[in-house]
Amino acid sequence: MKNIQCLALLSVLFAGPLMAEEGSPANSVTEKRWSPYETAQKPAVPVVSQKAWVRTPIDSFVLAQLESKQLKPAVEVDRVTFIRRATLDAWGLPPTPEEVKSFAADRSSDAYEKLVDRLLASPRFGERQARRWLDLARYADSAGFENDAGRPNNWRYRDYVIAAFNQDKPFDLFIKEQIAGDELWPDSQEAKIATGYLAGYPDNSNSRDMIQRKYQIETDIADNVSETFLATTMACARCHNHKQDKISQKEYFQFQSVFSNTVFDTKKELAKGSESVWDKQYVEQFVKYQAATKHIRDAQRKVLDPYKDASIQYQKSRYITDTLAALQKPEKEQNGLDKWINFRWQSVSGVNGGTGYLKLVAETKEHPEHTPDKVAAWDEYQRLQKELRKFDDLKPASGSSNYTAATELSATDIPPTFVRFGGIHERPTEAVQPGLPKLWGNATLDIKPTAASSGRRTALANWLASPENPLTARVYVNRVWAQYFDRGIISTAENFGRAGDKPTHPELLDWLATNFTEQGWSIKKLHRQILLSSVYRQSSAERPEAAKVDPENKLLATYPRKRLEAEVIRDSLLYVAGVLNEEVGGPSVLPPVTAGDQGPVDENGNRLWPVSKTTSDWNRRSIYIYSKRSLPYPMLQNFDPADPSKAHHKRDVTTTPLQALTLFNSPLVVNWSQSLAGRVINEAGTNEKAQLDRLYQVIFSRLPSNQERASLQDFLNKQENIIKTQAKDGRFAVAVPIGVADTSHLNPVRTAAFVDMVQSLVNTNEFVYRF
Amino acid sequence: MNDSRRKFLINAGLGLGGAAAAAGFIPGVGFIGTAMASDLVDPLAPKPTHFAGKVKSVIWLHMKGAPSSLDLFDYKPELIRLAGQDVPASFLRGLKTFTQGGVGKLYAANNRDWKQHGDSGAWFSNLLPNMASQADKMAFIRSSVTVGATHDISILKLNTGDLNPGRPSLGAWVNYALGSANRDLPSYVVLYNGMREPDAGSVNWSSGFLPAVYQGTAFRPGDSPIVYLDRPELRSVSQQRNSLDLLNQLDRLRGLGHTHDTELQARLRSYELAERMQLTAPEAVDLKGESAATKALYGLDDNTSEGYGATLLRARRLVERGVRFVQVVSAAPDNRPEGSADDWDAHHDLDGNHGLMSRMVDKPVAGLLADLESRGLLDSTLVVWASEFGRSPWSESGTGRDHNAFGYTQWIAGGGVKAGSSYGETDAIGLKVTNKDDAVDTYDLHATVLHLLGLDHLKVTYLNNGRSERPTVVYGRVIDELLA
Repeated sequence: MKNIQCLALLSVLFAGPLMAEEGSPANSVTEKRWSPYETAQKPAVPVVSQKAWVRTPIDSFVLAQLESKQLKPAVEVDRVTFIRRATLDAWGLPPTPEEVKSFAADRSSDAYEKLVDRLLASPRFGERQARRWLDLARYADSAGFENDAGRPNNWRYRDYVIAAFNQDKPFDLFIKEQIAGDELWPDSQEAKIATGYLAGYPDNSNSRDMIQRKYQIETDIADNVSETFLATTMACARCHNHKQDKISQKEYFQFQSVFSNTVFDTKKELAKGSESVWDKQYVEQFVKYQAATKHIRDAQRKVLDPYKDASIQYQKSRYITDTLAALQKPEKEQNGLDKWINFRWQSVSGVNGGTGYLKLVAETKEHPEHTPDKVAAWDEYQRLQKELRKFDDLKPASGSSNYTAATELSATDIPPTFVRFGGIHERPTEAVQPGLPKLWGNATLDIKPTAASSGRRTALANWLASPENPLTARVYVNRVWAQYFDRGIISTAENFGRAGDKPTHPELLDWLATNFTEQGWSIKKLHRQILLSSVYRQSSAERPEAAKVDPENKLLATYPRKRLEAEVIRDSLLYVAGVLNEEVGGPSVLPPVTAGDQGPVDENGNRLWPVSKTTSDWNRRSIYIYSKRSLPYPMLQNFDPADPSKAHHKRDVTTTPLQALTLFNSPLVVNWSQSLAGRVINEAGTNEKAQLDRLYQVIFSRLPSNQERASLQDFLNKQENIIKTQAKDGRFAVAVPIGVADTSHLNPVRTAAFVDMVQSLVNTNEFVYRF
Repeated sequence: MNDSRRKFLINAGLGLGGAAAAAGFIPGVGFIGTAMASDLVDPLAPKPTHFAGKVKSVIWLHMKGAPSSLDLFDYKPELIRLAGQDVPASFLRGLKTFTQGGVGKLYAANNRDWKQHGDSGAWFSNLLPNMASQADKMAFIRSSVTVGATHDISILKLNTGDLNPGRPSLGAWVNYALGSANRDLPSYVVLYNGMREPDAGSVNWSSGFLPAVYQGTAFRPGDSPIVYLDRPELRSVSQQRNSLDLLNQLDRLRGLGHTHDTELQARLRSYELAERMQLTAPEAVDLKGESAATKALYGLDDNTSEGYGATLLRARRLVERGVRFVQVVSAAPDNRPEGSADDWDAHHDLDGNHGLMSRMVDKPVAGLLADLESRGLLDSTLVVWASEFGRSPWSESGTGRDHNAFGYTQWIAGGGVKAGSSYGETDAIGLKVTNKDDAVDTYDLHATVLHLLGLDHLKVTYLNNGRSERPTVVYGRVIDELLA
């Protein structure tokens, strides 16, 4: 790599989006120069002509711009469309026919308010919001890289997030707990679990260069915090002064140094009395395993003990020179960085040196330390290991008795942070102290060390969560807006800087942000306001006349229809089939990939995807599916899910044949279609017309049209004949409805055709999109 | 997207041209937001190259575990002479080493026999007798360097250019920049021999920040290469036909209110494509129609090489059918004796390890090159022999070699390649590149591959988080010396 064209490249490429803003219709509305780095002031609500349309201040802001372009808002959707849209948005599930009926019939003046309050009060709301937050937090149940080791207690952070949304935890508190819960509330286990946000970085425990690893971890955290909370893409400034946003390389590393003293303890003991039902189950099972295997494990320890020192020495010698030097220092000579390295070594390697040394010298005859006693010891160890594996079934399948939290090793002896030339970890230059880029409103960090901790993260958390922070509230309300209207008021939700897009409705953004903080950072109030607006009630039907004026629909004269997200598709399928298990929380679950396929194994014969033994776990909501970085769950993978490598800001929508194959051929979807058919037959009885009506109400919230009914009848007749013909060949096996209470009146061939029909219906655009 | 913006981009030379703009992909800007979701309708539409490419497809042979150049291609008489002695200090200057058990004595394996082959006179050890017969097709990069001391980190870099997961792999960039040449198959396919997916999995064929449509599709071993490709057990072809007709009919009835909605229409079409894929994908990997001679050419007649040979034969069949990028990750032979190598990672017993692994790949790789040539495909295909790093000249544990990111050999062969050439060199013991200016890092290799496909690595760009990203991050140079 000889030529670094970075600078030239950036200056050319960034000219594109910037120049393109000139003359764009949205921009001309902004009169005074709006900046995301100045504390938002609550703007006056604009005056509009079509006053009757306005339900909330939000509507005035949107309508004012429509009127300036001589556009009228779209017509209001009917109640059925509304409840379907709102339920899919707020819960990630469609409404039941009963919910639709009762809302449509509710003539009270606050029918919409009651509906929205009901949606926001359900635990399903927290699950839905949490999934979006976990996208940002690059949440996974494994660490990634080659070993992709499990993180058996990460689900506690996931459950913390779900609970936070369900309890409407004020967003400022939510921030503080995740950034500095361990410093601010050292006695609160919940606040410490919240720091699992910071701990979500991809990691490889076997890295031989821990100084590089430390730098990678801090880079990940600094980049994630700045994107997630501040919509600032800082990563450029790691290698050179940022060309677009005024962030110097020095400022970048000052920001990164906030995290330089942080280590992660992945094995903190749960406080007595805080154990959940899963923890109790885990401990009970673990105790059984321990008791049954104690004699074997003791014997193994006895075999290894004579070689312990040599093993530790050998284990450490795999590390690169400077890491090794830190590992070899006596404890009292260790500086902050050495301590960090030794802490990590203990947590990734354990303290006994493992079996690597004994295996090597026993198996390598040429090795100078190869001796018969070591060969005998290794043979004995392996024999014991085989014995031990016989008890594998007794091991708890999931869970742990620990939790993960950020912590610091000293309040004063802090590993220094350096500017790194070109971002290269081996080229440190000037040492820096913690600070914030001036760009972010000239704020300073008020750092007060505690007895055991540097206080750096507390200072950052306090600044992030302050109502004066110009970015935090704007960034978050913009994200929530994007959930409903597909794009944010600033469409680059992750970048409010100069390379990002300009806001389409800057005053609305400021109004939402200031209102958010005034209302105590209440997330539910924010959602409520949007859900009850007239903007949100607009029809998504095409409006050629509006598209002509505003082809990108920036002004929101039409409601944007959108394909459901990966998890919503799967959850909705389970839900309409009547088989969704709505248990909230707990260790992540591993549903089958395809029926009968147990999936790949690792080199020791362990299943890489050990399917959960409890079958009811297979039908949990998708947020509870084990997120394995190296093996994304195939059913979801094709529908543009979040990539947990980095903060994932926006779910793309792509359309591919692999999606079609998934929904049309997956044995899981076939199975759910059978359940759905069974459910409908149970609920509607034997009359086919009643069955079709019920089916349409369950999956589409409406009745079939006459034309549709005719198509469906034609299909059933034809499919019945096809299946009958096949039966003549002597083979007679069909997929029939599951769970039908009274099968005495069922024609198996006709019902098999019915199952096929159900599966076609759940493949339609109408089911897979929210309109 | 407004017209002024589009014009500006094209005029600025950033666009791939009108066709790309119409498809909604503006290099340097990427997607223009989902209000323009209709632009996403055909993300795999074929797109023009920046200039005439030499090849249409790439077969990327990742030798996982890192083979020792010093035992395959890089003949170092001085190393053989000094074997058994300490590494002279002059060679180690400026290097951070990390050999478990300490840096051992210089090491040369037993029974290694070196000869020059072909008109080019390239050196091969006796571990690769068949590949040696193809010497004149290869352009050796003897000055390969990379970052990292740990496999997974360097593998990630080899495929994505970064040490942390999250960037698109080279195959994803190619898929994004060129689109698909055969819509009935995925255009970026990952193959592996053995029954289990490569460790670390999909991050190495991820689309990173590009839309997921560009990610690699890992083909499974066996008759049915794609998950969910097959009709469910109890559904006949006629049943499927009738069901798809119903789906189409209902979608059309309901789509009346959205006549201009190309995204919804594309979803209808995706079922037709899926149906075609059900036929084409199994056929593409079915080796029944291959002659006994072809099978023997790929080593299918040998226990050790049959698995890897079948994988490369599949790779050729995919390339023949227009697949753009085939990433082949090597494992170890399925039927190897218990306790033998898992991959090329020979920290001890290098002789046993490389004996087995060479036998696994030698015939298949040679067969692939010969077969591509005889079918007239070598001119339009690029074959890359790549590894995450090389191996040290000193011994580890007496019989093995440790990792070496400071200098190792990779090679390319195929269209536009200066066949029978060699570029760069390592020092006398094969430890590090002699001239830093000749060093070929991952980015340079990627830039060169893209160049052969007709793509300027500086112009393949995508706007992510407000930052214009390209495959080679902020580095990369095309190694002209490797080009014909």
